[in-house]
Amino acid sequence: MNKRSKRVIPGFGLSMGISLTILSFIVIIPLASLVVYTANLSLGEIIEVITKPRVLSSFKVSFFTAFTASAVNAVMGVILAWVLVRYDFPFKRLLDGMIELPFALPTAVAGIALTALTADKGLIGEIFAQYGIKIAYTKTGIIIALIFVGIPFVVRSVQPVLEKLDYSYEEAAGVLGASRFTVFRKVIFPEIKPALMTGFGLAMGRCIGEYGSVVFIAGNMPYKTEITPLIIMSELQEYDYASATAIALVMLIFAFLLLFFINLIQARNTKIIKGGR
Amino acid sequence: MHKNQSKTVKYILIGICAVFAFLFLLLPLYIVFAEALRDGIEKYRDAVTDEYTIKAVLLTVEATACAVVINTIFGIFAAWAVGKFNFKGKKVFTTLIDLPVTISPIIAGLIFVLIFGRQSVLYPFLQNMGIKVVFAVPGIILATVFVTFPFISRELIPVLEAQGTDEEEAAALMGAGGFTIFTKVTFPHIKWAFLYGLVLCTARAMGEFGAVSVLSGHLRGKTNTLPLHIEILFNEFQYVPAFAVSSILVIMAVIILIARSVIEYKGKKEC
Amino acid sequence: MYVELKNINKNFGSYKASDNVNFGIEKGKLAALLGPSGSGKTTILRMIAGLESPDSGEIIIDGKTVNNIPASKRGIGFVFQNYALFRYMTVYDNIAFGLNVKKTDKKKTDERVRELIELIGLKGLEKRYPSQLSGGQRQRVAFARAIAPNPQLLLLDEPFAAIDAKVRQELRSWLKEMIEKLGVTSIFVTHDRDEAIEVADDIIITNKGRIEQKGSPYEIYQNPATAFTASFFGQAAFIDDYGSFKTFDKIENADKAILRPEFVRVTKKGEVQKYKNSASEGIVERVSFRGSDMEITVRCGGNVLSARRGLDEENISRGEKVDVFIYRMFVTKGDNVYLLENKAVREDTIVI
Repeated sequence: MNKRSKRVIPGFGLSMGISLTILSFIVIIPLASLVVYTANLSLGEIIEVITKPRVLSSFKVSFFTAFTASAVNAVMGVILAWVLVRYDFPFKRLLDGMIELPFALPTAVAGIALTALTADKGLIGEIFAQYGIKIAYTKTGIIIALIFVGIPFVVRSVQPVLEKLDYSYEEAAGVLGASRFTVFRKVIFPEIKPALMTGFGLAMGRCIGEYGSVVFIAGNMPYKTEITPLIIMSELQEYDYASATAIALVMLIFAFLLLFFINLIQARNTKIIKGGR
Repeated sequence: MHKNQSKTVKYILIGICAVFAFLFLLLPLYIVFAEALRDGIEKYRDAVTDEYTIKAVLLTVEATACAVVINTIFGIFAAWAVGKFNFKGKKVFTTLIDLPVTISPIIAGLIFVLIFGRQSVLYPFLQNMGIKVVFAVPGIILATVFVTFPFISRELIPVLEAQGTDEEEAAALMGAGGFTIFTKVTFPHIKWAFLYGLVLCTARAMGEFGAVSVLSGHLRGKTNTLPLHIEILFNEFQYVPAFAVSSILVIMAVIILIARSVIEYKGKKEC
Repeated sequence: MYVELKNINKNFGSYKASDNVNFGIEKGKLAALLGPSGSGKTTILRMIAGLESPDSGEIIIDGKTVNNIPASKRGIGFVFQNYALFRYMTVYDNIAFGLNVKKTDKKKTDERVRELIELIGLKGLEKRYPSQLSGGQRQRVAFARAIAPNPQLLLLDEPFAAIDAKVRQELRSWLKEMIEKLGVTSIFVTHDRDEAIEVADDIIITNKGRIEQKGSPYEIYQNPATAFTASFFGQAAFIDDYGSFKTFDKIENADKAILRPEFVRVTKKGEVQKYKNSASEGIVERVSFRGSDMEITVRCGGNVLSARRGLDEENISRGEKVDVFIYRMFVTKGDNVYLLENKAVREDTIVI
C-alpha cells in the first residue's frame, strides 16, 4: 500500500528532496567525478606516480609526523581531560574553553604564529638554538603544528567518558587495596580506552590531511619536510592532475581505513557495554 | 600520607596542563599581537586598513555567509528527514554528509578542480557561458561550503533523534502543518544546537585555507580570502602586515570561543 | 458500535503485532485494552489514531471507514504515554495548541482554555512549563490538551504508567470522573489489571496480537474465556495436580489449575470450618502483612498456594499446620478454561 502518505509527521518528501539535492551537488557529484577521473588512469600510471621516491618519502614524513603528534596528543589529551574533569583550580573554565582554540583559529594563523615562535630567532626557538636544536623547518616543527591541530580531538573524546565514570568504581578498587596507579591502569584506563582510540584516530586523520598550519613551519624541503598534501598542491600548480589524483587516492584510502577502524572500535565498545546484542 | 601523595599528583598534573596550554595555546596568540604591533600602532593600522586586506575581508565574509546559509538550509532539512523518519539508506545518507570533514582540504580542492578545471568535459561549456569557477570566487565559495558541509546538520541530528517524535506526532494529530510543527514545537529544542553549529561553521569557513588555496589562484584583491592574504604577506617576508591581518582572525576566533562557551552553557542550563 | 475494528492485521517485520483483531466499543463507553507488554495493545491504539496503518482490515469510527483518513483529520484526542507535552510551551499554550491550529476564534480559545485549566484544577499555573509540573499535573495537562478541541474519541496510552503509586490512585478516579462527565468515548491502554478493573466499563484483553476476551470487568473476572485470561486476570497460583484436592470433578487431559487467593480459605486447626471433611492439610510457609489483610502462603503436598485472612481473625504463624479448603478453581486445557466448583459447596446449596 502507499506507505508514504501514511507518515503522520509531515514534510518527509520535501526535506528529503531538498537535502538530497544539496547533498548531490556539494558532495556526491564532486566525489563521483574523482572516481570517474581515477577510472581513466591505468593502474600502471598510478603505481608509477606513487612510487616516485619523492612521493614515497612524503608519505613517510606525513605518516611519521602525524603518528608522533597523535601519540603525544593521546598522552596529553588524557592528562588534560583528567585535570579538567577531576580537579578544581583557578582559570579552569578558561582552560576548558581554550582547548577548542585550534578549532576556532584559522590554520594559517596558527601556522605563522608557531613558525614565528620556533624559528631560530623566535621566542622559543632562540632558547633551543643555543643548544643547536632547530625546531621550525624540521620534522619537529611539523609535529608541533600537528600537536596544536590535533589536541582538541583527544580531549573532547575522552572528557565525556571520564565525566560519566562513576567514582564508586575507583572507591571499590581502592577499598580492595589497589594502589592509585593500579586503579588507573586496571579500572579507569580500560574505560577510557575506546574513547582514547577514537580520539587518536580522529586526530590522526586530521593530521594526515592537514595543510594550512604545516606549510609555513615545515620548510617544505623535498625528501625531508615535504608532506603529502603539499606534493598534491605542487602537482596541481603544474597542472599535473593525473599525478595529483593518484596521490590523493592513496590518502583517501588511508583516511577511509582510519574511519573504518574508528567505527570498529565504537561498534565493539557498544557491544561490550550492551552485552553482546 | 595517601592524601598528600594524591595532592602532589594533582599539582603535577595541573602544572603539566598549565605549561602545555601556555606553550601551545596562549603563546601563539600572544606572538600574533606582539609581531603585529612590533613597529607600532601606525603600521598596524596601515596593514589592517590596506585596500587588499579589506577586499580579503569582504571575500571571506561572502564565502562564510554562503557556507552558513547553504549549510543551514541543508542542515535543517537533513536533520528533519534523518531525525524524524525511518528510511532505507539512512546510514549511507549520514555517512555521505560526514564525508567532507574526513577528507584532506587539499583533496577537497582537487575534486572541484577536476570538475571545473580546464581538463574537464564541462570546461568548454562553462567557458561559453562565461562562468569561471576555478581561480575565481565561485570556486572559493564551493570549497568553503564543502569543507563546512556537515557542521550544522551533525549538531542538529543527534538532538532531534534524542528528542523522539512524540511531540511532533501529538501536534500532527491535532492537525498542525509541517511549518507550524517545526517552528512551534521542534525548533525550540534545537535552538542552541543550531547556534552552536552556526558558530562552528563560521569558524571553519572563515579560516579555511587548504581547499580555498587550491581553487583561488591567489589573485590579490580578487580571489584572496584573509588566510590566503596572510600567506602571501608572510611569504613576501612582510611579517608585520601578515601578523596584523592575522590579529583580525585571532580576535574573531576569541569571539567565537566565547560565543561557543556561552551557547554551550545556556543550552545545558535549559535542558 | 461507535468504534469498530474488523479483521485487523499488522506486522512489524516478522513480528505479528495484530493478528485478526476484531472488537467494537459503544458510544460513551470507557474501554481498556489490557495485556502484558508486547501483546499489541499500543499498536491497536496507534492504528485507531492513525499513527500506524494496518496491513489489512478496516477501522470504523462513527460509521465511517477511516483507514484512508489521515490522523490529523480523524478528530481524535490522544494522550501519549509520556504525555508528549510541548516542552517549550506553557501549560496555557499547550492546551490552546489544538484550537490555534484549527484557527479557532481567539476569544473562544481563551474561554475554552481557561475553562479546561479550571476543570483540571491547575488554576494559577497557566504560565508554568511542563518541566515545572509534577507528574500528576503533567498528566492533567496532557488530558486537557487532548480534549480541548472537543474530540469525539479520546485515546490514552498507558496514562498512569509514569506516575508514582499514591498519585496514580488519585488520578484514576479523577480520570474516570472526568470522562464520565464529558461523556466522550474513550479507550486506554494498560498493563495493570487493577487499573483496568477500577477505571474501565469494558475490558479488552490482548495477548500476542490477539484479542482474548472482551467484557465488563466483572464478567471477565467471573468467567474468563481463555486460559490466558484466567491466569492474567487476577493473582494466580498454578497447580499441576489439582486432583490431590478433595471433592472436585475430574477433567480429562487437563493442563493445570489456577487458584486465586479468594478461592482459598485457610483455617487454624481449632477454628470452625464447615467443610472440614473436604479440606486438605497444609503447612504455613510465610505470613505477610498486606495492609488491609494478611497474605498466607501455604504448602499443601507439592503445591504452594496463597490465601487471605482478615486482620480481625486469629493469628496464624509460620510452620503451623492448618486446614486448607478450596471453593473453586479454574482448570485449563489448551486454550480453554473450565470453572470447577467444590462439590462440597454445591451439595450444601442443594441442601438449603
